[in-house]
Amino acid sequence: MEYSNEFLVKLYEELLHCRLFEKKLVDTYALGKIPGHIHSGLGGEACYAGTLATRQQGDYFKNSHRCIAVANLLGVSLETAFSEIMAKRTGNAGGRGGVNHVSQLKYNMLGFSATLACDIGLAGGAAMRLQYDGIDNIAYTFYGDGTANRGPVHEAMNLAAVWKLPVLFVCDNNQFGISTHVSQGSSVPNPAADRAASYGMPSAIADGTDVLNVYEAAKKLTDHIRAGNGPAVLECKNYRWRGHFEGDQTPYRDKKVTEEWMQKDSVAKMEKLLLDKKIIDQATIDNMYQQFDDEMERAIAFAEASPAITPEEIYEYLYV
Amino acid sequence: MLVTFAQAVGDAMKEEMRRDDRILVFGEDIAEFGNIFGITRGMLEEFGPKRVRNTPISEMAFIGAAMGAAETGLRPCVELMYADFSLVAFAEIYHCIAKWRYMHGPEYKLPLVIRSAMGSSFGATGEHSNCLESLYMHSPGLLVASPSNAYDAKGLLKEAIRNDNPVMFFEHKQLYKTKGEVPEEEYTIPFGVADIKREGSDVTVIAIGLMVGRALEAAEALAKEGVSVEVLDPRTLVPFDKEAVRRSVSKTHRAMVVEESNKTSGVGAEIAAMMQEEMYDELDGPVVRVAALDVPLPYNIELEKYAIPDAEQIAAAIRKML
Repeated sequence: MEYSNEFLVKLYEELLHCRLFEKKLVDTYALGKIPGHIHSGLGGEACYAGTLATRQQGDYFKNSHRCIAVANLLGVSLETAFSEIMAKRTGNAGGRGGVNHVSQLKYNMLGFSATLACDIGLAGGAAMRLQYDGIDNIAYTFYGDGTANRGPVHEAMNLAAVWKLPVLFVCDNNQFGISTHVSQGSSVPNPAADRAASYGMPSAIADGTDVLNVYEAAKKLTDHIRAGNGPAVLECKNYRWRGHFEGDQTPYRDKKVTEEWMQKDSVAKMEKLLLDKKIIDQATIDNMYQQFDDEMERAIAFAEASPAITPEEIYEYLYV
Repeated sequence: MLVTFAQAVGDAMKEEMRRDDRILVFGEDIAEFGNIFGITRGMLEEFGPKRVRNTPISEMAFIGAAMGAAETGLRPCVELMYADFSLVAFAEIYHCIAKWRYMHGPEYKLPLVIRSAMGSSFGATGEHSNCLESLYMHSPGLLVASPSNAYDAKGLLKEAIRNDNPVMFFEHKQLYKTKGEVPEEEYTIPFGVADIKREGSDVTVIAIGLMVGRALEAAEALAKEGVSVEVLDPRTLVPFDKEAVRRSVSKTHRAMVVEESNKTSGVGAEIAAMMQEEMYDELDGPVVRVAALDVPLPYNIELEKYAIPDAEQIAAAIRKML
């Protein structure tokens, strides 16, 4: 595919955003500033940035727990995101939801369920609304290789296919469901793509460490969906760089393999491409890192300075 | 006009669908077949396949889809054929639907209704006979309705459909054929307003769903013995009309809860505990629970009857209180 420089820089920016945000989450968690648990998405950024490069105004999104930065790509401010993550009133749910629930409906985000897969059908519901109004937008739903084995995923795929709903199922296959390798959990080598055929859906497998490869696969599938042909499945192969949660020392896998995968770095690949083609120079890249880090630090400072909700507010948002 | 409970439910949906074209109805066997009890008959013809859809037997998927549709501007009124099957999508209801707005923020309203037929129905056995209101009362974020007659069913369902909160709406199978007077003109019944089905001064009987009729039968029998029983139908369990209960027991000073579900951790347990915490001074004795035995409902119809409270059992329990 031919790309404009503008497209490549924008794609890189979004990829880098995901990378640096995920890094910042890990660092901030280590400082004890985040309650609960985080699930680092380091290593899987290209799956999200590449897929979302196909998005259009009016599309709907159901995120996973691995790339919270998706919320920012879709419009949620860093201040809102870090406030929710740090349990402050200035978060989207005032700190009632937390890191997995950084979401705003005004940016067409459908929310996330930490009972993995229980939210998978949301995209189908949003797609029903699009279909009802005759709008040719689509709904994206991200999930992982572990979740791919849960029943709701299969039901949602079948329902989307039966009703020809405009849904793209995107599997971030980082090869581990907590400690269980995908080969121990799925009867087929590709837990999302291989199963698409049984629901009569097209599918593609992308190199989840190559953001352009993901984009190209996603573009083909989303064009198919936008043309009114019903749902499709995209599976992005990558590798979870860190443990399932922070503190998971990953005794279940070979460190050498992890290091090999970490060499397949989607951000480094994109930087090499941009530098080789002289689209941007190293100073510009360095500047982007710095600028984005500054923005995140400001957002964290804002969140830290923000008040938490009080016990008097504990029932708010429960009922309309 | 005199209509059946089933008709009242169907009419409520049809009237609301005529009023608001954002209302969709979907579920198993509800389109051509018109639902196994005939409740949605005529809907497909009137509103078309875009608004009236059969689903595959995939409760998790279509409950999830109802959520997604509700978030994005539609108002789904979905049918889970039997309340028993709601357990198949329990996490979707208990974790997601109930908690969604709380966990994501105030813009995430879920104006959706999940209707289910529930309760015993002559040998339907352990997996098609459950009354599960107490499970959903335990999940903050949901509203729970359990009407006892055609008039209430219609008014409450119309209110449920208009409400911006998610509602679990339970319809007792044995009530579907019962007839009641329903006005021609439009009406709704607000949630959280109990109804005194019979006034009395000696004992307050708080009865739910099918048990309201049985409590009334018991009250009628006891009236001949000079015992005056007040029958209070909460109509909705979330919100629950505590004030109506307080008003009633401040007159009778004795209370009983009658439910069809089994006793342990049931609706009666919650209401009795609440009354003992909040209305202790009004009570001259403990709140009595009359409920089904703690068994799966047996297939054998005689044993099924034995397991569930009837009017005689309710009357006997009231006599013991005096």
